[in-house]
Amino acid sequence: MNRPKPAAPLLTLLPAMALVPVLIVTWTGLHGGGLSIWQQFLSGALHPSLDPDVLHAVWHGLGVTMATALLSWSLSLLFGVLLGSVCADVVWRSWSLPIWPATGLRRGLAIPRAVHELVWGLLLLQVFGLHPYVAVAAIAIPYSALVARIWRDHLDSADHRPLEALISAGVHPLSALMTALNPGMGAVLMSYGGYRLECALRSATLLGVFGLGGLGTELQLTLQSLQFRELWTGLWVLAAVMLLLEQLLRLWRKRSGVGVHGQRRMLLFGTLAIVLGVIGTFWLRLIVPDQFSGLSWIGLEVPSWTQLNLAATELPWYPMILETLGLTVLAAGIAIGLPPVALLLWPSPRWHQCCSIFWACMRWIPPPLMVLLLLLSNRPSLAIGALAIGLHNSGVMGRLLLEGLQQQSGQRQDALRAIGSSERISWLYGLLSPQSPSYLAYGAYRSDVILRETVVVGVIGGSGLGWQLLESLSSFHWAAVVLVLCCYCALTISGEALSDRCRSLWLQS
Amino acid sequence: MFEGERIALLGRSGAGKSTLLAIANGSLRSEQGEVRWCGASIRSMPRRKRREIGMLWQDLLLVEELSVGQNVNSGALGRHNLIWGLANLLFNVDQSACKHCLQRAGLDADLIERGLIDAPIRQLSGGQRQRVALARLLRQQPQLILADEPIANLDPAIASDLLDHLLNRSPEGQLNCGAKAIVISLHQPELVHRFDRVIGLQEGELVMDQPADQLTPADLSRLYEAG
Amino acid sequence: MTNPLTRVRKKGAVVLLALLCSQGATVLPANAQATLRIGAIPDQNPERLNRRYGQLASELSDSLKVPVRYVPVSNYPAAVSAFRTGSLDLVWFGGLTGIQARLQTPGAQVLAQRAIDAKFNSVFIANTSAGLQPIRSIDGLKSLKGKRFTFGSESSTSGRLMPQHFLAQAGVTPKQFAGGQAGFSGSHDATIALVQSGSYQAGAVSEPVWNVAVKNGKVDPSKVKVIWKTPPFGNYHWVVRPNLDQRFGKGFTTKLQKAILGLTPANERQKTILELFAAKRFISAQDSQYQPIEEVGRQLGKIR
Repeated sequence: MNRPKPAAPLLTLLPAMALVPVLIVTWTGLHGGGLSIWQQFLSGALHPSLDPDVLHAVWHGLGVTMATALLSWSLSLLFGVLLGSVCADVVWRSWSLPIWPATGLRRGLAIPRAVHELVWGLLLLQVFGLHPYVAVAAIAIPYSALVARIWRDHLDSADHRPLEALISAGVHPLSALMTALNPGMGAVLMSYGGYRLECALRSATLLGVFGLGGLGTELQLTLQSLQFRELWTGLWVLAAVMLLLEQLLRLWRKRSGVGVHGQRRMLLFGTLAIVLGVIGTFWLRLIVPDQFSGLSWIGLEVPSWTQLNLAATELPWYPMILETLGLTVLAAGIAIGLPPVALLLWPSPRWHQCCSIFWACMRWIPPPLMVLLLLLSNRPSLAIGALAIGLHNSGVMGRLLLEGLQQQSGQRQDALRAIGSSERISWLYGLLSPQSPSYLAYGAYRSDVILRETVVVGVIGGSGLGWQLLESLSSFHWAAVVLVLCCYCALTISGEALSDRCRSLWLQS
Repeated sequence: MFEGERIALLGRSGAGKSTLLAIANGSLRSEQGEVRWCGASIRSMPRRKRREIGMLWQDLLLVEELSVGQNVNSGALGRHNLIWGLANLLFNVDQSACKHCLQRAGLDADLIERGLIDAPIRQLSGGQRQRVALARLLRQQPQLILADEPIANLDPAIASDLLDHLLNRSPEGQLNCGAKAIVISLHQPELVHRFDRVIGLQEGELVMDQPADQLTPADLSRLYEAG
Repeated sequence: MTNPLTRVRKKGAVVLLALLCSQGATVLPANAQATLRIGAIPDQNPERLNRRYGQLASELSDSLKVPVRYVPVSNYPAAVSAFRTGSLDLVWFGGLTGIQARLQTPGAQVLAQRAIDAKFNSVFIANTSAGLQPIRSIDGLKSLKGKRFTFGSESSTSGRLMPQHFLAQAGVTPKQFAGGQAGFSGSHDATIALVQSGSYQAGAVSEPVWNVAVKNGKVDPSKVKVIWKTPPFGNYHWVVRPNLDQRFGKGFTTKLQKAILGLTPANERQKTILELFAAKRFISAQDSQYQPIEEVGRQLGKIR
């Protein structure tokens, strides 16, 4: 008897199992004590503050946030594509070189990726001071590494035979790469790159730490002081910008081109990305002129070996790592499993539209706000944190899934329906099934992000890595910061190795 | 292998025809022995020499996202520099050469004039794709053509037409396609009369190598039945 | 080639340009003169912070004849680091963050404090359903064992450091709370809201914030009440960087101190500023007043 081997579409549904324990815990902890504050929160939505001071602050904050997002997005695409190409095996093989430098670089890139942009921001702040570029670099560094990973994975999993054919016909490797792989990568760049802009906007919003007075600062401070009407002013503005961005990107994606047109569009996209980056730079200079007083390095004492040893004995390693892993697994399960399950429940266009709106809301609400809202009507527990991060990220995954499904022809689903399968089965086999491998791949990347995001809900309290990191940072206990960051890196690298292994085990052949 | 020679490579599926061609082309490394072209080993040959060997792959290996014209031009990438390669992605370079090659590959002149060059590859039928791949090969202007089952999926009329383009000789004895020699692997033993020499493979072993006109039906049936 | 997309793109470019211009217009032109940058730990709502420090910046700018700018920072350690790296010159710190900042920036001085900062209090609040009785002596804090308890922000003196210190004196460690840990709500207001909702059964907040919340009717007395008021400790103070005399001319630090101490309710704008700070006057402060907090910070590992 052969061992049961889950098929790809089942693998996309299975993670939703994480919802079961989370919902049970949440259900038992539910109480109505926070209803009055919920009510205030919701009524704030209808009556956002229109005070000129607030509007001015939000408008200024929006400018800073947009400029930061544009510049960091542009930089992360540029460096991401370059780094991703350098660490792709196929590129080294094209020049008939050994591939170990690519492998080494790839492992190395896990380090910038493992650290949340908030933490990058605080670390860079230590050595450069408050500077607009610190915020930009804080987003650009982890994002470049993330784009590099996606780019590399797509490059290495593309069909290489046309490339080999060209190389064996005596074509220069660079020319061959540009001709054989570049056109296919164009689609990846345009859909994924556009999506990164939205992510960069979200991150720039989350990063209010830099004394730039960005939208994030407004949101965070109004949230901390529970000024819901002022909070909603910022939230509505953020919603408008996100919606606008999404519509623009949709318009862009709708018209795909092939051949010369496709290539020109891709070039245009690249140019646009760079131009927007330049615009972002000037914009920042315009808004915060007196903060561009030269970037200088301010040294920081590096913790000594004995300090590290001491810190290592102080840190509660087991509960810390276990809690973080638990949080990550549960949140990733919700984020990956919820979208396909929700769509499967009722595969009709109208319902899918509802889902899409729901997910847009999930992406829109910043995780700290989601945590506070959930916490107001529930007892504090790990499940709350998992639910908050999971729901937020399910918004992202849901969007990716729907987008992928919309790009399919639907012939398979029709064929299955024609032989009398039920609506759900034909959706599952006809649409979800071919989409599953790439969805799961994105799910793996998302788990990376979720691991980093555990920093954001560290405030729920506890002993997780995220909380420990914030606590060590606020105590300026650098030895502990170094150790916790190392732990994050180790988790990211092993998580990546695990997901690679799983993918090659389940999804190929 | 001699100048002007046309060789047919025969054998059952899995006998090693594709492997042999890939080794001859240099994209696979052989465990023993060495492939030489004009006296130089194929593995250490500079790019300048490699572009003299053209290959018509079994699955064509066209770039799906590019247009017909760009794919045909990619045959000439070996002769041009990087700038030309990039220009090919953004503009319709050397249109006339492209059209000429498409015509020589037997595509309908009418169709070519009606903007076939800008059509994406995935809109084409199987036969048309095969011809675009052939046009790409012609655009490369190779000295040696290796073709891996170029007619396996084609209807007989198109197949014979395609072979005409590859195998016909001018009255002076030059191959029409411009190459000095040609090796084609086949599944149709009835077509061997169009070749000069036949090589038979069986489970990776060379079992037959004789002029095409000396071939007997018994030889062929032995090749396809034994083992 | 004028397909609809290019048209949209052109429109987009125009919109973007218009946006940029309007953004630029909201900002004063850059000034070549050295700017005094003031900051604060984010312990209020942003509107109040902006008004408080915006007004103060214009006041100081007028009295000192140098450009002064308020730079908002949205978390406590970032304010400390910004001060250390010289991105902020004058900061309104809390007790703990002020000590962290001064320890990391040799030569930094305490300029002033408010009268209430010399004798600051925190209150422990509890949800009425938790069954907690008002506490008479510090030992009574033992009744919090096994309850769901939350602090405010990690670096807050009144919302975390001193409450944790008093708990420790009573022999209660965060491990003894329900769930084996205390929560960190992030701010005093959030602590009040979370305790009132019942998600946490008890919490510690700064007394002035609690009083303001009660005054504004944000507290439902039937759901949440004070169970203990801590002994007094030193808190907020102005800290200034050591190099201001070099940058702005000899005696600038003294002039700055005089300007802050000289704020009086007699002047209309100065009155508003003092009201926004909830103070009658600023008074001078000594480093030694914060010695006890430094010791507590070291005990609890918040100062290394």
